[in-house]
Amino acid sequence: MNAFLTREQNSKYAEFQEFAAAHVEPFAGEWDRAQKIPGSAVSLLGQAGYLGASIPSEYGGKGWDVVTFGLLNEALGRIDSAFTGVLTVQAMVSTALLKWGTDEQRRKWLPPLAKGEVIGAFALTEPGAGSAIQSLATGLKQRDGDDGLILSGEKQWITCGQFAGVFLVFGKLDQKPLACLVPRNSVGLEIEPIQDLMGFRAAGLARLRFNDVEIPSANVVGKPGFGLSHVAPVGLQFGRISTSCSALGLLRGCFEESTSYAASRRIGESRVGDLGMIQSLIAKMGADLEASKLLCWSACRAEDDHLPETFTKTFIAKYFTSRAAVRAASDAVQIRGASGCHESSPVARYYRGAKIMEIIEGTTQVHEIILGKGFVQDAVRRQLTRRREVSH
Amino acid sequence: MIANDPNHVNETVRNFINNSINIDGLGDDENLFESGIVNSLFAVQLMTFVERSFGIEIGMEDLDVENFKSVSATAAFINRKSAGKAP
Repeated sequence: MNAFLTREQNSKYAEFQEFAAAHVEPFAGEWDRAQKIPGSAVSLLGQAGYLGASIPSEYGGKGWDVVTFGLLNEALGRIDSAFTGVLTVQAMVSTALLKWGTDEQRRKWLPPLAKGEVIGAFALTEPGAGSAIQSLATGLKQRDGDDGLILSGEKQWITCGQFAGVFLVFGKLDQKPLACLVPRNSVGLEIEPIQDLMGFRAAGLARLRFNDVEIPSANVVGKPGFGLSHVAPVGLQFGRISTSCSALGLLRGCFEESTSYAASRRIGESRVGDLGMIQSLIAKMGADLEASKLLCWSACRAEDDHLPETFTKTFIAKYFTSRAAVRAASDAVQIRGASGCHESSPVARYYRGAKIMEIIEGTTQVHEIILGKGFVQDAVRRQLTRRREVSH
Repeated sequence: MIANDPNHVNETVRNFINNSINIDGLGDDENLFESGIVNSLFAVQLMTFVERSFGIEIGMEDLDVENFKSVSATAAFINRKSAGKAP
């Protein structure tokens, strides 16, 4: 039992770990080699209710709190970050719809999303706009004769794009950022699989091309002008929470694999774990794991409590945990030596996947700019406040 | 949740916004977004703060720059929303 969690959260965490052990661990290597998660595995997630983790029960979801959602991502991420990619994008699309969708959109899309009958994908990134989302080139124009729109443009690196049933697409209408739902079977939508990523290989990434795709006005989410300021951030917040916790799971996997190896592998009369150099690597990994855990759970709790500082906490959790996962994965391979470089050990997949965690949902460098600027601005405000107090 | 005395609403909103920016002497009617003094996350942070502090739910129908463009506009929006009046 973990004292930070409630009894119910601890119980759920144990359930998630059992699911991962039974349904993910035996197959993760195979999925990675095939660069594909089978539909049957995604269906299992849906049947377990995990794809509706954050969707309220009135729409057929579980209505779990964010800490529980984070624990789900951690448990599955312990085995395979590509598999948690499905949870990530499902949560991003469904939370954006929950907040900004019309009643009709919620009734139409949230129940099948909750059951996993439809997978949602978040289509924001473009070939020319990754970190700089304000530079979106995907455009919408008014359709002649009615209030529908015509969508043209291209998106890239779209997680689960190969099998998503609906895309939440971001573009600009008369320079005003806008979000809209685009079903997979829309005429003019081309989906091209992206293969051969260094990690996250089974996450089904795709390139999307929108060739004058017709968008009924009923598919617009939110209002023109608010796509990037209000709709995207709601989804991205859950994307960062999911990625942080998935990276935490990967970090935990590295730690458990490393300590297990260090405890059992012998060098002569000693264990590998008796070597000071190995103890040093494991100490750093263990401390990073504990710190990451607290940062992730704190961010989840802040989101549950709807605190304004939840955004900063989530940035910190994602920034720290993804970088710690990269360090841990590198050291996990190093501890194992040659066997860590072979795909027979999960640490080889962790090593390749960890780097992806440092790039998706905001790169390390973007996080440093946002956090560094924010911390300096906090100090400037404190100085202004002190000056005001002194002058009074 | 803070009791919705209009003067208290104004002061609470002003304090939150002052704590989110780093200039002194912000006027209650100064446009926050045109002057570029807020960052890209500010819109959702303000929304989260308003929802939590005043117990109101901001929905699609409230997405209007006029509702959040200044301290005064935000306070007025909160008071209208709390009273159940249409914007």
